[in-house]
Amino acid sequence: MSLRFVSLFLILVSLLAFGCSTPEPDGPVYKIGYMNCNSESETLQRFTPLTRYLEKEVGARFELIPVDTQDFEERFVREKFAFAHTNSLIYLVLHEDHKARLLATEKRGQFGARTAGAVIARKGSGIRNLADLKGKRMLFGPQLAPSGFLAQYDLLLQNGIDPETDLALYGIPHGSYKHEKVIYGVYFGAWDVAAAPALDLELMIRDGRISADDFNVIAQSEIFPYCTFSAAADVDPGLAERFRRALLELTPETTVEIDGEQVRVLRSTWVDGYEALTDSDYDILRAMARRANMPPYQKF
Amino acid sequence: MNLPDRFTLFHLSVAVGAVVGCLLLVLGASPASQARTGQGQLERDLARRARVEFLLDAYAPVQQLADQGRVQQALMKLEEIGRRYPGEAYGLLLKGRLLAEAGAADQAIAAYAAAVRGNPDFVEDGAPLAARDEIEQLVNRHLEPLRRRLADGATGISARRTMEQLRYLQSRLAGGCE
Repeated sequence: MSLRFVSLFLILVSLLAFGCSTPEPDGPVYKIGYMNCNSESETLQRFTPLTRYLEKEVGARFELIPVDTQDFEERFVREKFAFAHTNSLIYLVLHEDHKARLLATEKRGQFGARTAGAVIARKGSGIRNLADLKGKRMLFGPQLAPSGFLAQYDLLLQNGIDPETDLALYGIPHGSYKHEKVIYGVYFGAWDVAAAPALDLELMIRDGRISADDFNVIAQSEIFPYCTFSAAADVDPGLAERFRRALLELTPETTVEIDGEQVRVLRSTWVDGYEALTDSDYDILRAMARRANMPPYQKF
Repeated sequence: MNLPDRFTLFHLSVAVGAVVGCLLLVLGASPASQARTGQGQLERDLARRARVEFLLDAYAPVQQLADQGRVQQALMKLEEIGRRYPGEAYGLLLKGRLLAEAGAADQAIAAYAAAVRGNPDFVEDGAPLAARDEIEQLVNRHLEPLRRRLADGATGISARRTMEQLRYLQSRLAGGCE
């Protein structure tokens, strides 16, 4: 009699234990390269919840690898990344040179899955349009930034200003938080004009760090796709599709457990969601890169 | 003389109550009362007009920049005003216009839908800040292409939300009870 109770109890306990635990995915570990925005630690903090979510939804094991922008293409090939999270220009490089496939585009800020670049001057500086830029000192964002360098470089070229010869000088700030440094560089009068991403202007105004009345936007680019997830050419199409679907179905309410805490995935990642754009949506950026002689279309 | 019993008292009090009620109704319909009601309507009309004037004034810098084609600067100014008046429907309407002009269709649809939720007058013909025509054009332009995209099955939750917002705007434009 007591033996029957004991065995029943053991079955119950094992059933409960099985029901409460989430089975860990097995199989090979796929590498996801995440482009650093400011620092490796920030990238790890931002994207760990998303990576755990993807493991759970896709049913595969993933390794999160923070990568500096300049090293991305080389490490993508050398370390055989299966997936990449990069800005849209690096996506073009991976797509054109290594046949990477577009999965989903990140949504953040008022343009959603798209973004734009602006040329700004301090209000009252007397700089009102692009023609006034000749002989001025201009601060750009990082060289491979679509909305902090390429868009503005292209805007200048399209308006008959060659940044290499017509500006008195142009520079790029050191270290992290380059986009904010660019905006503050103009705000504090260290530089005459700057290449500011529309998203950073929006966020800094929303936080009250700058005022819209402090600046003149003297030129603005068209909008083009924002940060992008892509898959390497040799990744199993079924796996890539599950990965893409998991991204597209993320909502602000989606949570994942990190160190015993339920964390909102999108909030942690600083993202509003993911959208299914097509590769042809990136043509506008291709045209910019071609005009500006930038990768992947650079010719010497 | 015998005192009335409780049953009679109850009926008397009901009768007195009815008479008092009738008197109140008659007095309520008097010219003085009607004047008071008219005063209330005047106050409401004044408040409505003042609100419209205030909104046009508060958002005038955004409108001026938009008129000059300076979409990015207008969006920045709108963001700043939004800190003071978060969720204001007129601000959302302007945002929808600017985003549509910038080519961010899905975000424009979301802003227009939020604006109409906040102030249904935007789809009413003849309302002071009506934007019926532009909302109608927006819905007509995007509904069918989005329906086709959804039918392809290549989209995610963002596209489904945009469709919900377009359907909402379509339903508000149609008007009536549902």
